[in-house]
Amino acid sequence: MKRGLVLFFGLILLLGFSPAVHAADPIEIALLYPLTGPLADPGSRAKAACDVAAEIINGSYDLPGIPYSKTQGIPNKGGAKIVRKYYDTQGSPEVGKAETERILQEGKAKLIIGAYQSSVTKPTSFVAERQKFPYLCAESSSAALTERGLKYFFRIAPTDYHDTVMFFQFLNDMKKEGKKVSKIAMVYEKTEFGFHANEEVKKAVAKSNGAYQIVADIPYEFKATDVNAEVLKVKAAQPDVVLHATQFSEMMLFAKAYESLGVKVPANLSFCGGYQNPVFAKELGKTVENYMGSCTFAEDFIAKKAQLKVLNDMFKAKVKSNLDGVAMEALTSVFVAADAFNRAKDLSPDAVRDALATTELQIATLPGKGVKFDESGQNIWIDSTMSQVVGGDYKVVWPAEWATAKTVWPMKP
Amino acid sequence: MDTTIFLQLIVSGLLIGFVFSLIAVGLTLIWGVMDILNFAHGDFLMLAMFSSFLMFANLGLDPLLSLPMVVALLFMVGLLTFRWVIRPVLGYPGLIALLATFGLSIFIRNLVLFFVGPNYRVINQSILAGKNFSMLGLHFSLSQTMSAIGCVLITSAVYLLIARTKFGRSLRATSLDKDTALLMGINTNRVFALTFGLGAACVGFAGGMLSNFYPIFPEVGLNFAIMSFVIVALGGFGNISGAFLAGIFVGLVENVGGFLIGPEFKYTLVFVLYLIVISMRPKGLFGW
Repeated sequence: MKRGLVLFFGLILLLGFSPAVHAADPIEIALLYPLTGPLADPGSRAKAACDVAAEIINGSYDLPGIPYSKTQGIPNKGGAKIVRKYYDTQGSPEVGKAETERILQEGKAKLIIGAYQSSVTKPTSFVAERQKFPYLCAESSSAALTERGLKYFFRIAPTDYHDTVMFFQFLNDMKKEGKKVSKIAMVYEKTEFGFHANEEVKKAVAKSNGAYQIVADIPYEFKATDVNAEVLKVKAAQPDVVLHATQFSEMMLFAKAYESLGVKVPANLSFCGGYQNPVFAKELGKTVENYMGSCTFAEDFIAKKAQLKVLNDMFKAKVKSNLDGVAMEALTSVFVAADAFNRAKDLSPDAVRDALATTELQIATLPGKGVKFDESGQNIWIDSTMSQVVGGDYKVVWPAEWATAKTVWPMKP
Repeated sequence: MDTTIFLQLIVSGLLIGFVFSLIAVGLTLIWGVMDILNFAHGDFLMLAMFSSFLMFANLGLDPLLSLPMVVALLFMVGLLTFRWVIRPVLGYPGLIALLATFGLSIFIRNLVLFFVGPNYRVINQSILAGKNFSMLGLHFSLSQTMSAIGCVLITSAVYLLIARTKFGRSLRATSLDKDTALLMGINTNRVFALTFGLGAACVGFAGGMLSNFYPIFPEVGLNFAIMSFVIVALGGFGNISGAFLAGIFVGLVENVGGFLIGPEFKYTLVFVLYLIVISMRPKGLFGW
């Protein structure tokens, strides 16, 4: 009888400490995004993408090339689930800073992911750095973000610098094909994103030994109600190509103004931003036919990597439109976080930071090999591609290894 | 500067200026009669644009055809706003009504965000959408041109309504002295309610027309609201013809000034001119 009781309680104790029964504590990630305000649309798309990533990590899916899809949680942390807590920046650097302070005071999150706009990412990551807290940026593109010598800041997306290098390689190729390309008009919003994109283009033009000239430098107010003056400036300059660093609502105003004012530029190239939003190509139809821009995801990537269809379908079920580059970068960031948690010796800020710094994650979500950060915190395994709107869809047109369609140059009138 | 480009800037300035004017007329009407600055005015514009879009998306109604319904709907929104938000705070310090409209603005925006979502919407298959024409070397978008013409007509109609009709006289009387108007047998609460409705209907018309060529999202009204506050102050609080002319003035400064000095300074220019005007004429260009 005594022996039976000892055995019974022994078994209970054993089961109590068994990992299968005593589930590991979930790991919280704080996600800073503009969920209200003028950029609520891209913010909510990023949120949906992060939700998809967490569902895959926490569940079990057969997705070759997508790590942590089969394992149900974080394997080395007892199968701990990823928990997301969203914080709304409202698109404002001040609100973003206050929310970051709140995340740090709450003390539950093990990592911050944010914050879409470069102008919000910059101050919020400073707040995190001051507290020596790891900050993973998925999509902000200002090259300056990884030039600040921060130790706790990491970025997945290609920067304006990478996009600029790609644009000029593309333009050089167009030149070789006999297209007339030398005069550039630069149109950019007066924000961190716009100013840095403009700086990178200026540097590239200066290095081109006169092969390219900037014939119009047109900054404009973010949240503009009317862009006719800007478009007429472009018209007066008669460029061969216009480069945009523009968010969605202004990009749409620009597209409509180019059309209504009869401004025909042979090529219209966009840094990441409004151009990538699938609504742009789908809803504006012929108005934006043959517009081009950098992209880290287009629907026809699925033809090259079939597993992306599952991700796209899951995303589409939430927001009723396809993934775009920005959303895919946000989605990837949660996998990078999961990988860092998995490899970190514990979940202290320094251990997570060290794990991020040594990331070598091969993942099929983005063009390029995956994610590996250099000393500045910039992902050096990512590539960018050039897409073009063809018949209301984004088609990758450059470089050749990713291309599914031929570049249309000049744009069809 | 190329003459064609200069003329195109003038035309563009006028086209957007007329739309600004009608939005500001709705705002100045409410201020002129009730001494209340309606902070939710931009959100009324957004409601009109979303109403137009939803009728287009769900019923297949072209924004031009749904326009009378949008205007009627916004008139009702104005009446209800007066009944539920403004009337309870009438007679208290003006700041309370101002804060009430501020709260209403946040409420409307978040309500739309919650029910409709933050996504950008575009009406790109309407009767007016995507149609352009040229005249004397100048380019016109049909939707913008029709919007501008419509806004001029409605502004003129509002002006005539106030200047020439019995309702207009009672409105002006209430505006000048509410207590005396009451003694003369004018139902001032009814005048206030109709004024709020009329102001919202004006912005309803502008929103219905804007939906033909402008992206629709929950924050869209903010951009226009700030500009219409400036226009109302420039034209003189409560002055309809002042708001009309100031709207055109702002449209022209934005376009011509923006082109000549730099697009990055076009809003700075508008605000500098606004500061100069109110420092010299605190009641605005046409205020008394």
